[in-house]
Amino acid sequence: MSTMSVSAAKKIPKKKSRFAETSRLFAKNRLAVIGLIVLILLALVAIFSNQIAPYGEDEQNLRNTLQTPSAEHIMGTDNLGRDVFSRIVYGSRISLVVGFISVGIGLAIGGGLGAIAGYFGGRSDNIIMRVFDMMMAIPSMILAIAICAALGPGMLNTMIAVGFSTVPNYARVVRSAVLTVKQQEFIEAAHATGSSNVRIILKHILPNCLAPIIVQASLGVAGAILSAASMSFIGLGVQPPTAEWGGMLSAGRTYVRNQPHLVLFPGIAIMMTIFSLNLVGDGLRDALDPRLKR
Amino acid sequence: MKLLEIKDLTIHYVLDEDTVEAVNHIDLALEKGEALGLVGETGAGKTTTALGILGLIPDPPGKVISGEIIFEEENLLTKSAGQMRKIRGEKISMVFQDPMTALNPVLTVGDQISEVIKLHQNIPIAEATARACQMLEMVGIPAERINEYPHQFSGGMKQRVVIAIALACNPTLLIADEPTTALDVTIQAQVIDMIRDLRAKIGTSMLLITHDLGVVADICDKVAIIYAGEIVEYGNLTHIYNETAHPYTKGLFGSLPRLDIMVNRLNPIPGIMPDPTDLPQGCSFAPRCLNKCDRCDIEPPQNHEISPGHIVRCHLYAEDADDCREVK
Repeated sequence: MSTMSVSAAKKIPKKKSRFAETSRLFAKNRLAVIGLIVLILLALVAIFSNQIAPYGEDEQNLRNTLQTPSAEHIMGTDNLGRDVFSRIVYGSRISLVVGFISVGIGLAIGGGLGAIAGYFGGRSDNIIMRVFDMMMAIPSMILAIAICAALGPGMLNTMIAVGFSTVPNYARVVRSAVLTVKQQEFIEAAHATGSSNVRIILKHILPNCLAPIIVQASLGVAGAILSAASMSFIGLGVQPPTAEWGGMLSAGRTYVRNQPHLVLFPGIAIMMTIFSLNLVGDGLRDALDPRLKR
Repeated sequence: MKLLEIKDLTIHYVLDEDTVEAVNHIDLALEKGEALGLVGETGAGKTTTALGILGLIPDPPGKVISGEIIFEEENLLTKSAGQMRKIRGEKISMVFQDPMTALNPVLTVGDQISEVIKLHQNIPIAEATARACQMLEMVGIPAERINEYPHQFSGGMKQRVVIAIALACNPTLLIADEPTTALDVTIQAQVIDMIRDLRAKIGTSMLLITHDLGVVADICDKVAIIYAGEIVEYGNLTHIYNETAHPYTKGLFGSLPRLDIMVNRLNPIPGIMPDPTDLPQGCSFAPRCLNKCDRCDIEPPQNHEISPGHIVRCHLYAEDADDCREVK
């Protein structure tokens, strides 16, 4: 036995870490890499807003309102003469953070409870899912407005409200994925090796449910940015004059006929974020699934 | 010394409308180092028995109605969930029927083998990995494939991995639930040979669940024939293969193709297994039995020991059953 283990130890290829392996596969997917680069650029813009923005976030110039794009204001100015480009740069902070944190909140609560409901079934499933059914009966926008109104306006409360209103969606997605995986024989095999329930959920079930969760989450970031925008539109979200993409979009709505750049640029910013997130999500899902390795 | 002793075990699945009587009053015993073959048709209660030993009967709807499962002198049925978890995988482990689905597709085989080791033995990760390599070599897979994923292995190789996982902690009892059913014949032979060799090497006792009498003859010491949740005949290989006593066992042999006798048609047992939600009042096998007599419809048969260690559950062997024998 001992000689065998020695000879065996020599031959074993060094195990690549999960991260190295995943990133290698991810790098093969060109679109996903482009998406990731765009996301990183956006993140850098958010971090270095102060350096990048040529004007201040709420620096008004009332003699220079509603300008079309020019060398001085590359994305024009809004109805108060504020530089649209600077506001988009500053807005990236709020929008990205709100998008990711709300999804994080929704996923953590909804995913956790959904996994519990799907795995244990029976009474716990009934209780958890009926509560979520009740939440789903209320339109998520109304729910977010209600929560936000109760907590008061502000960025943190917006994130909580938006995140919380999406909890039932994540719970449903995770629960259904868990239900499918739970039926498989390797879960029974894991029981037979003496794994505890928590271990089985975390190590065997959730890694097999990643695909639908990643897709739902990357779409969810987009939805969260838009929901946060609607919240600011009705005055419950991030308060003006703080720049935020959704808020800029709704403020520019009035001028869409003559000054379309006011809605165009924030819209492009939101679209780019969401599109690159979806690309990254797709790439990540493929890279994490060992069956798709070539 | 008896390693495992099952006494009067009854397991039912209680559904809304009716109750599936999956396992009814079975008695089994397994000595240390022995291999016992549990043979029966689909739905006879073989897998339920195995899951019962491991304490993995899905509840609801499964219920252990009565009986004792004594393993290493302790009744497993009275143990807590936590105690059972320690026993599963370390003392008793299981090989599943279909290797295609019994491995987690997103973990490497090495991770899956070392997971069991880490779970039950408090050793450093590097050591667990080394042990996983050793296990792979033991089942005939080169250790350099340790970081590959299950989909990169063929069916027979996967079953070897499953066996490596089951044996990783040197269990005292291995339950193999139709380990060769999902494999093709040549691979079956390889896996059977391997199981036999490994058993000789590490001395694990085994409960082999199968419907293949050939496989049982190959690797088992004792055989239990199970029908509709009851053990109908129990004995060593000679008892079952050469001194076949129960009409059902005879029927099983009659439905096997043989190399030494020229036959045009096989002789299957007529009829199908009784509905386990509605078992006959008397002997469960009576509706299909060629030796049936009036008594069989009314009264369930008792166990009769016709020679030492050879137990048959049939009225034919009752002392006061002359009327039955006459019909025969």
